[in-house]
Amino acid sequence: MTKKKYNHINHFLEDKSFNNWVYQKNATDINFWDVWIENNPERKDLVEKARDLITGISFKRNLVSKEKVSLEWNKLQATIKEKQIKPKRKVIFLKQITAAASVLLLIIASFYFLNRNPLITHKTNFGETLKIKLLDGSDVNLNSNSSISYYTNDSRKVWLSGEAFFQVDKKENTNAKFFVLTDDLSVEVYGTTFNVNTKKEKTAVFLEEGNIWLSLKNGETKKMKPGNFLSYSSKKNKVLEDTNIYNSTLKTSWKDGTLLFENLSLAKAMGKIEESYGYTIIFKDSKSKNTLITGAVPLTNLNICIKAIEKSTGVTITKKNNTLIISKK
Amino acid sequence: MFSYFFLPCELNMEKLSDHFIWKSLKEGDLKAFSVLFEAYYPKLYNYGLKISKNASFTEDSLQDFFLYIYEHRENLSDLDEIAPYLFLSYKRFLIRIINRNNKNRTLDVSNETLIDFEFTAEEIMEKQETERFNKTNLPKILNGLPKRQKEAIYLKYYSGLKAKEIAKIMNINYQSVINLLFKAIKSLKEDISIMKLFN
Repeated sequence: MTKKKYNHINHFLEDKSFNNWVYQKNATDINFWDVWIENNPERKDLVEKARDLITGISFKRNLVSKEKVSLEWNKLQATIKEKQIKPKRKVIFLKQITAAASVLLLIIASFYFLNRNPLITHKTNFGETLKIKLLDGSDVNLNSNSSISYYTNDSRKVWLSGEAFFQVDKKENTNAKFFVLTDDLSVEVYGTTFNVNTKKEKTAVFLEEGNIWLSLKNGETKKMKPGNFLSYSSKKNKVLEDTNIYNSTLKTSWKDGTLLFENLSLAKAMGKIEESYGYTIIFKDSKSKNTLITGAVPLTNLNICIKAIEKSTGVTITKKNNTLIISKK
Repeated sequence: MFSYFFLPCELNMEKLSDHFIWKSLKEGDLKAFSVLFEAYYPKLYNYGLKISKNASFTEDSLQDFFLYIYEHRENLSDLDEIAPYLFLSYKRFLIRIINRNNKNRTLDVSNETLIDFEFTAEEIMEKQETERFNKTNLPKILNGLPKRQKEAIYLKYYSGLKAKEIAKIMNINYQSVINLLFKAIKSLKEDISIMKLFN
């Protein structure tokens, strides 16, 4: 509502208060322009032209669904990753040969000397994560308080308790499948990246790229697509969650040593801390439970983690034996 | 090193300016690229569909286009406005592929002005802001407009771009965009008046 001279159509088009008047939005603007038009009858034609141009034609804007966009993004991301990996392939290939050779050696050795396959187990404590390269070249990130086991003759079949992120290499010549077994289900893949979490008496699977098949304990099978997040409990014999997640880092950031919170209540965020560090959480006042928190905390350094949460939410966290006590400042 | 302070920069990038997103993309930030992708995929998809009139073709071309952008990110010039750049380069990209695939060249779209935007009844809101447009055969009248006017109409009211941005995409000046839009709206109104006389 400046004291501009409105003698050209562009003056109207670019004017915010005039746009408000067109859409009858702001009482002050509506009032101003009603009066202005009455006082400037010679501009009536110009006003009408400008109004016509602003309203134009209303389209339904047949927009693409969010699911579709996230699917297409995953596709693109996979292509980008593939292109970045390619030059390194030769080196990996050599590694695979040595890995394969060592598997063969181990198998022969076990047949000759032990006549059985040793079971290998990797385990992590609270506040500790572990990167493992399996004998077939696949990578596993093991989250805190978790374990995986496999027989040396078949590292493409692993048993998981806790949480792990898998990057499975495709075996193009044999098309051999890779299996992850939990108390609730088994995951069946050819080559892909995905996250499996068996904490809280259920198994949650998040697929980052590729395709995987789940065989639930109740006999059902399910195909998952990139971005899908599914959790199932055999105890309850029920699929608990089946959704899409667009910000995949929220589910997988832990493998880089970080926990990401996006508008999470402090109660839920502390639940994650409890899982990762093995401390019991006690809230002294229930109000701070609902404080929302957004940001990143480290997974393997409790002191920094506590400081970061204190700083962003304004609570005080005291460590006592195996408990964290949260109180208002 | 990653510092653990609560700067929500990583999560609120969509609120930052075009300039910053573009700069981050040029530095290879995949997160910035994903923000850009999410913001522009739907708009470019609809735009591409209007040009190629083929859904799977549009999908494939967009995958290739965004990959091209990412692979050539270091050579991209600095930008303060992303929309006109993406629309224009995607249009050129798409036309190049169409021409390459089109061996017999009966459908030569190398001349950009030959692109014909067609509107369908499903795309148009039943209730229009301009009351005179209600209950008329709007798509038919729209499709009868000159091609350049239709393109301007599409970019302004369907893609929701500003006149300044449309000027860059159509390679004309600001005033010409206004004139194109104004002529289009004017003849729509006239056509509708004539039709109403006969009905």
